[in-house]
Amino acid sequence: MKARLALTLALASLWHRRGVLALVSLTLTLSVTLLLGVQYLRSDIRQAFTSTVSGTDLIVGARSGPINLLLYSVFHIGDATNNIRWSTVEELARDPRIDWLVPLSLGDSYEGFRVVGTDPSFAAHFRYGRDQALQLAEGHWFSDTFDVVLGAEVARRKNHHSGDSIVLAHGGGSTSFMKHRDSPFRVSGVLAATGTPVDRAVYVSLQGLEAIHVGWESGVALPGRTLTPAQARQRDLTPSSVTAVLVGVERKVLTFQLQRAISQYRDEPLSAILPGIALSELWRLLGQFERILLYITGFVVITSLVGLMAVLLALQAQRRQEVAILRATGASPGLIASLYLIECVALTLVACVLALALGAAGLTLVGPWLLDNYGIRIGLRPLDSTEWLILASVPAAGLAVALIPALRAWSGSRHQGLGGSD
Amino acid sequence: MTGPAHLPGQATQSTATALQSRNLGFRWGRQQPLLTFPDLHLQTGEHLFLHGPSGSGKSTLLSLLAGLQQPTTGELMMLGEDVSHRASGDRDRFRADHLGVIFQQFNLVPYLTPLANVLLPTRLSPLRRQRATPTPTAEAASLLGALAIAEDHWQRPVSQLSIGQQQRVAAARALTGAPEIILADEPTSALDADNRDRFIELLLTLAKARHTSVIFVSHDLGLAHHFHHQVCLEART
Repeated sequence: MKARLALTLALASLWHRRGVLALVSLTLTLSVTLLLGVQYLRSDIRQAFTSTVSGTDLIVGARSGPINLLLYSVFHIGDATNNIRWSTVEELARDPRIDWLVPLSLGDSYEGFRVVGTDPSFAAHFRYGRDQALQLAEGHWFSDTFDVVLGAEVARRKNHHSGDSIVLAHGGGSTSFMKHRDSPFRVSGVLAATGTPVDRAVYVSLQGLEAIHVGWESGVALPGRTLTPAQARQRDLTPSSVTAVLVGVERKVLTFQLQRAISQYRDEPLSAILPGIALSELWRLLGQFERILLYITGFVVITSLVGLMAVLLALQAQRRQEVAILRATGASPGLIASLYLIECVALTLVACVLALALGAAGLTLVGPWLLDNYGIRIGLRPLDSTEWLILASVPAAGLAVALIPALRAWSGSRHQGLGGSD
Repeated sequence: MTGPAHLPGQATQSTATALQSRNLGFRWGRQQPLLTFPDLHLQTGEHLFLHGPSGSGKSTLLSLLAGLQQPTTGELMMLGEDVSHRASGDRDRFRADHLGVIFQQFNLVPYLTPLANVLLPTRLSPLRRQRATPTPTAEAASLLGALAIAEDHWQRPVSQLSIGQQQRVAAARALTGAPEIILADEPTSALDADNRDRFIELLLTLAKARHTSVIFVSHDLGLAHHFHHQVCLEART
């Protein structure tokens, strides 16, 4: 009965003071939205990052550190120290432990986007996220030597569609003076956005890449030695080397054995990495800032809770008469104190509910735009246990903050005489 | 100027005694002087007029009677029980069960409707809820009606009520659940003469019907004739 009375009184009192308290709740709502949003995006981005490549068991490249190999083969950052001979690739393909392999050849660029030479096995075996395969937004995969498939961001930024003709540049960098003008490529398809580095890459066949480099052995085109597209289609364009190979293992338990075998390959120095582990290591390097961001938003919530306490304490002066009436009617100091606790917790609960609604609405509105414009895939999902814990800590902190005005009200009303003015 | 207001009646029947105090004294702080009060004695159903200039300790005495403060010296018997040596929780419960209080002004909880204000004692005390007949809401309605608060005012924000109406709602709250004693701290000081007399008449009539004693504090000696007894507190310098 007393609890119900306290609840009715507290809610009526909140509603009575809604004008002042709405502003405090707004501050609190925004800070909780920020805190929850940061945690939500943090785990989403980590999830997206660590599954930039999935389904691939090993990445094989020339001997180097795992992070370096990961950076150039998956993120197209930096360059390979060396290439892998094609004969090695062929030997790997014969290994019974290997289910499939995807050769990748890097080095050229298109308007600053990396050109990746590969073969049809890329479309068949490459996976990202939760085992998602690549989808074409338009057109089809390359079938001709001079076909090219564009990543979503490349197509969007350069406004390309199937059928467009593009000229690749020799080497990396966004402004290259050496272009493969003799052999323009035709856009055969555009990939759907994935939120991975695939969006920022240009895919051609290994043969196409080989063809445009005939006559470029010295690093520049030698006049008369380069091929016309018609000549190229007649030639055997088997590459002499590739940059990296994605490997799918037949039986997963053999992954480590195979990794060791490749690292000890006798014909040339190779490295094999497990992409999941390398991605986690890389995230540990990059992921420090997001933890700091979370701490900062945590402090923002604490700041607004302190603001809430300040408002409650300021309101306390106005409530002396009301407390005197309740006390004179027989309310105990405990009941008076409980009003402050209930009011503060109710405010934080309202802020939490509003923050959830605001966050959900924001994600629904911004999600598709983020994917289209920045290739960041963030959708609505149920909150995980950490996020619920963070959310629940807000009313708990509210309760702790309310203890100060509540204790003041409790001891004050014990010593208050009849009437509010004593 | 002490006016010992002892009644000629027999003080032996403790059940019929609403209030009896002996050598009451109170000190607000260690360095403060001791305030002493004349002995009081009141039979149930009888009304007492407490009169004194400002600073004479009227409000302090009411705080002691209400059980909001514990007397430093002396003892206070209410309804045959010694309430002066009880724990504060017990005094709160005793106040909820047996006392009604009316202040000088600002009597109503601002965020409750007039009706909810009247019902407050029955929500705080099971005894008062039981005594409110036939039901708390019905009793509150009849009290508000008797105190001339129009029904369309019952659910309005209390800030829309005139001061006279607010004081009458406060009287209804004090009377709800038929408490034995009502403490009224200058409830008419903010009212004009017409309203004042009407207020006192209504309060005393309704109190009489419930056998409720009213202890009425005022500096206005012109009101003394409404009451059976009067006590004057001396001015302190």
